[in-house]
Amino acid sequence: MPPPSSSPTHICLLVKHISSASTMAEPVHPAPTMPFASSSSAPGPAQQSTAENPRQTQTLPIRDSKDANATNSDKAPHKGKDTTASAVGGDGAGDKALSPAELKKKAKAEKTARRAKEKLEREGPAPAVGGAPAAGAGGSQARPSATSKKDGAPGGSQKGQRAPPPRRGSVAAAQHGAAEQQKKRKEDKSVAVFGHLYGQQRRTTIAGAGKEVHPAVLALGLQMRDYVVCGSSARCVATLLAFKRVVESYTTPLGTSLSRHLTAHLSHQITYLSTCRPLSISQGNAIRALKLTIASIDPSTPETSAKATLCDFIDSFIREKITIADKVIADSAAQKISDGDVIVTFAGSSIVKETLLEAHRQGKRFRVSIIDSRPLFEGKNMARALANAGLDVQYSLVHAVSHAIKDATKVFLGAHAMTSNGRLYSRVGTALVAMSAKERAGGVEVPVIVCCETVKFTDRVALDSIVVNEIADADELVSPSPPQQVTDLPDPAAAAATAQSDSNKKGAHRAPSNPSADTPASSSDDSPLTKWKDTPNLQLLNIMYDVTPAEYVDMVVTEMGSLPPSAVPIVHRMSTNM
Amino acid sequence: MAPPTSTAAAKGFDIVETYNDLLRSDPDLTMPIAAIEALVLLLTHSAASTISETLDLLAKSTAHLKKSIPNPIGLSAGTDLFQRYLITTLQRPGQLGPAGDFKAIRTHLLSNGRLFIRRAKESREKIAAFGRGFIRDGSTVITNGGSRAVASLLRKAADEEGGPSVVRFRVIYVMSSTSKGVDGPSGEEPEGMETVRALRAKGVPVATIPESAVAYALGKADMVIVGAEGVVENGGIVSRMGTYQIGLLAKAIGKPFYVVAESHKFVRLYPLGQYDLPIEQHVIEFKSEEDMAEESQQQASAANTSADGPIELPLCDSVDFTPPHLISALITDSGVLTPSAVSEELIKIWF
Repeated sequence: MPPPSSSPTHICLLVKHISSASTMAEPVHPAPTMPFASSSSAPGPAQQSTAENPRQTQTLPIRDSKDANATNSDKAPHKGKDTTASAVGGDGAGDKALSPAELKKKAKAEKTARRAKEKLEREGPAPAVGGAPAAGAGGSQARPSATSKKDGAPGGSQKGQRAPPPRRGSVAAAQHGAAEQQKKRKEDKSVAVFGHLYGQQRRTTIAGAGKEVHPAVLALGLQMRDYVVCGSSARCVATLLAFKRVVESYTTPLGTSLSRHLTAHLSHQITYLSTCRPLSISQGNAIRALKLTIASIDPSTPETSAKATLCDFIDSFIREKITIADKVIADSAAQKISDGDVIVTFAGSSIVKETLLEAHRQGKRFRVSIIDSRPLFEGKNMARALANAGLDVQYSLVHAVSHAIKDATKVFLGAHAMTSNGRLYSRVGTALVAMSAKERAGGVEVPVIVCCETVKFTDRVALDSIVVNEIADADELVSPSPPQQVTDLPDPAAAAATAQSDSNKKGAHRAPSNPSADTPASSSDDSPLTKWKDTPNLQLLNIMYDVTPAEYVDMVVTEMGSLPPSAVPIVHRMSTNM
Repeated sequence: MAPPTSTAAAKGFDIVETYNDLLRSDPDLTMPIAAIEALVLLLTHSAASTISETLDLLAKSTAHLKKSIPNPIGLSAGTDLFQRYLITTLQRPGQLGPAGDFKAIRTHLLSNGRLFIRRAKESREKIAAFGRGFIRDGSTVITNGGSRAVASLLRKAADEEGGPSVVRFRVIYVMSSTSKGVDGPSGEEPEGMETVRALRAKGVPVATIPESAVAYALGKADMVIVGAEGVVENGGIVSRMGTYQIGLLAKAIGKPFYVVAESHKFVRLYPLGQYDLPIEQHVIEFKSEEDMAEESQQQASAANTSADGPIELPLCDSVDFTPPHLISALITDSGVLTPSAVSEELIKIWF
């Protein structure tokens, strides 16, 4: 049975890493007749008990026994791959016995193992959405499934028939300590096209943050992670304000200069922030400007005055690039609103909100149609704010876009960034709204206007929304209620959520079809997707942004004037040179 | 030339009158240039002795001028440009900067303003040089309106060395049905007739067609060349009514659509559509029998009372907006530009 014997190799290796973090290893003695169950459930002990179990030696080789394994095994000739794979992690000891071809295979296997290891590190904290400590969550989730599999071991033979590709999915299996079936399943959970975006999972706690990280930054990181601080400009301002506090409480260590050391010190803060949520373009631009200022400080400047300079810089940056810019944009964009307009907007852009409020203040009579989307529901706040101000507001979700766009006269959109090829990079769904507006009646009648500060311009180029994007936790899609937040009050909409999930139940044929999943162990709300991670062939994709082609944008309102999207790179060049 | 109505006192100087006089006196003068010239004359007559006084005077006069002219799009290009030029000059460090002697600044401004005007008049020649290559031997050009830039370009092409029209090309001239010739008594001829005669004199075959025949005639044409009153920020143009439909038809039939415009006609304006222009024009007016009767009555009664109400653009002077996606290229004195390059040029001027 070559295939099953190869996977434990990986498991074994991987368990070395995770067994230290989690108390996963259980004293189970592997039964030779059930290679699958034994190897999967008890890799840890197996490692120690190789000597007693000859079969184990063969299937679960470790570095000490590798030499023997390669030579002893009578099946070695036709199991070449496994044997070499088993040599993974070996030191120089056994290499002399291996032919060049075998060496090559060994190197390959090592690479596989390394990748698997990296992957494990990435996926480790994944299940810990609810704010449980990352490492602990990985372990505790894995354990129940492992034991249950072991208890229900009869399934082992059936599972053993499956011959998974030897290199795939071992990570997941190790993590769960479960069947190959599960390995494969787990592997598939990242949508292939967006595979490159599944980087580090978002940080869930402040545990493990470096001691250099300032408390203000620690708090901000979690707030950003939980979307308490959400939106490109808001994140930019919050980051700068937090950094201002960092600068204020900073003292230059002996033997270095402020301009050199503070940059490194800030890097720690930035790294921490980016593990909470990938940095936005505006944050990146602001940080770049700040670092430039720090670097340009004369080392002979006294520390207090240097710090004062930096704080002034941060204040004026926020004022010039965001506060005043927003006002200017709102003023000039409001001029484009005329009486009788029906303005369609998507999600909750603060600057679009300001624009609409400004136009309302100017006494213009118009209607607003807000299109919103799951899972963030950013438009809700905007709807409330506009309605409170006395505007006529219609609120609908993105599936009603064609209906909402039917009587639209103008579309106002916010931006996360504007790329150098004039494309708009914004909350996912924006492109759909812009396209609906443009494709309606030839696109002449409904101008699409983007309100965007120049601090959001980037010299990057976006051709599609696949290469550059951000993937949020897919679990946000599962529960009908907003994600549970560490930093916010419990959500009041829980009642509505359960009601909705009840109605959803009728269409839930996936859960019943999986007989092993009918024990509602942990889930409080039984959305059919709750167990999506254990449901085969089911992938969830929670993408954050999309790219709107430049042809769909008529005008970009910035603090430097109104531009066609093609002028974005010019203005960006100018605003960064100044 | 503008008659200096009063002495140095700027109060007596009527900017609107000067502007109109300038336009009337020189048929080759474009609106932005006339506006700049009027502003330069204003500065000559003003007694302002400080920078802020000057700027204030300029701002007030500009606003007044814009309000008094029915279609200020063209002239605002000139006034904005002049104001911008003034500010950048004043911000520059050195003798002419804010620290310098105001008298020196003033003389500098005035001399530069004149230089600017002279250069602007020469720009049409430059455009013709750039655009000549577009008119090839054997091609047929369709054009409209009374653009002097287009006329000079066509004349230049006809004047190619080697006697009458070495470059053999034909022109289809679209005659506006709303122009004065049709509206008023038969005394006035339709706009562009002068150009038609001039071209015919040079041996260029010219056909005149009504606007309704544009789609019919486009099949015979190789390209469309039109003038513009103003080039707006997104690369579209504001031009004589009827240009937009020619642009649409040219796009539909697949003929290139070129715009000839001097770069001082670039306006800081961003219209989103036909009805987003900052002017009042009553092109579409819904009337019933009752309204008609009422109107004729009013006309009879108000025939001799001078109109003091809001200025409306007469139908013959009405304009439309041609969006950038219909324009193949803009032939300007700073080169042949794509519509998207216009905003780049404008940003260069403004920042």
